[in-house]
Amino acid sequence: MEIRGKRPRAGWSFQAARRCRRLRASVVHGPWVVSVGRQDSAPPRFVAISPDDGSTIDLRNPALAAVLSWLVPGLGQLYQRRTTKGGLFMGGLLTALIVGLWLGDGRVVYASWRPGETRLAFLGQAGIGAVAVPAVLQSLRLAGPARQTYFASGWFAPPLNQGQFVSAAYAERVLATEPSLERKAFADRPPFKQCTIDQLSVWHERLGRSFDIGTLYTVLAGMLNLLVVYDAWAGPLRETPDAKSKQAKKQAGEASGEQTTDGAAGGGQPAATQT
Amino acid sequence: MFDVMPTLLFAQLADRVPGVFFGLPLLALASLVFAATRHEDPAAIGLATVHWAVWLGGILGVVLAAVLLFGCFA
Repeated sequence: MEIRGKRPRAGWSFQAARRCRRLRASVVHGPWVVSVGRQDSAPPRFVAISPDDGSTIDLRNPALAAVLSWLVPGLGQLYQRRTTKGGLFMGGLLTALIVGLWLGDGRVVYASWRPGETRLAFLGQAGIGAVAVPAVLQSLRLAGPARQTYFASGWFAPPLNQGQFVSAAYAERVLATEPSLERKAFADRPPFKQCTIDQLSVWHERLGRSFDIGTLYTVLAGMLNLLVVYDAWAGPLRETPDAKSKQAKKQAGEASGEQTTDGAAGGGQPAATQT
Repeated sequence: MFDVMPTLLFAQLADRVPGVFFGLPLLALASLVFAATRHEDPAAIGLATVHWAVWLGGILGVVLAAVLLFGCFA
């Protein structure tokens, strides 16, 4: 943790000590610049520095903003009143997510951790909480004693395996939403029904390549949302020290070139170098 | 929520269109997100988006060319 300013020395005047306390009122804590405030009772403000013009960005509550952005892409930025970025993230990532869901007929996002059928794509899709939470809830309820899902449409529910037991109500719901399935796809096993087909194969046969394309769109939207969550938590990514030194050298070179040109012309101001 | 018929029609269309064209919107989206997480000013975001799109497109293009080349010899 880096503390700006110096400790007041013995013998300083009251005015000098107050100026020193103001200098010490901000600390660099991790990715943020935390303004402690001039009074001990004032709550700390988390701010970031814009890499474009050096202005401060008030992050408000970074943790809450990060959670909001995880739930809905860009919502955390809107909470921080960064409306342009929030709108960009929300529009872009939600569009990709919705297009992916449409391409996959709502079947591409589901959570499955059954041995041999682990849905690895869900690791990327989990970057967006709005679809990750329903998928986990659907999967847990389908595997639980109820043997059915929360949502009537069956969205975000994992595909049924051959031999899997489900409730009679859920079997009727699946038959209603899958036009290619026949009644014999479920065998009577009172009080449940036993699935006799592999539902994932049915999806691939019906949707073809658009199932994979929908998966790709939703996975990429989820993975990119991790960057959005970091932006809500810590502000814009800062340049590395190497990038900064290269930029400083480039500006110094340009300035010395301008100074040489001005000197040859017989006049000019001294160039300012960035430190 | 979504009708079945438009989805099935698009599924038939998807089989005819080369897969690389479905990656172009993702390339634009990734460039936009990479740029927006490094800048705050909209103009800077726009310039950085173009910068990232060129970089990502170039890298993916080289990878695609290498895969096609190896496919010719395989």
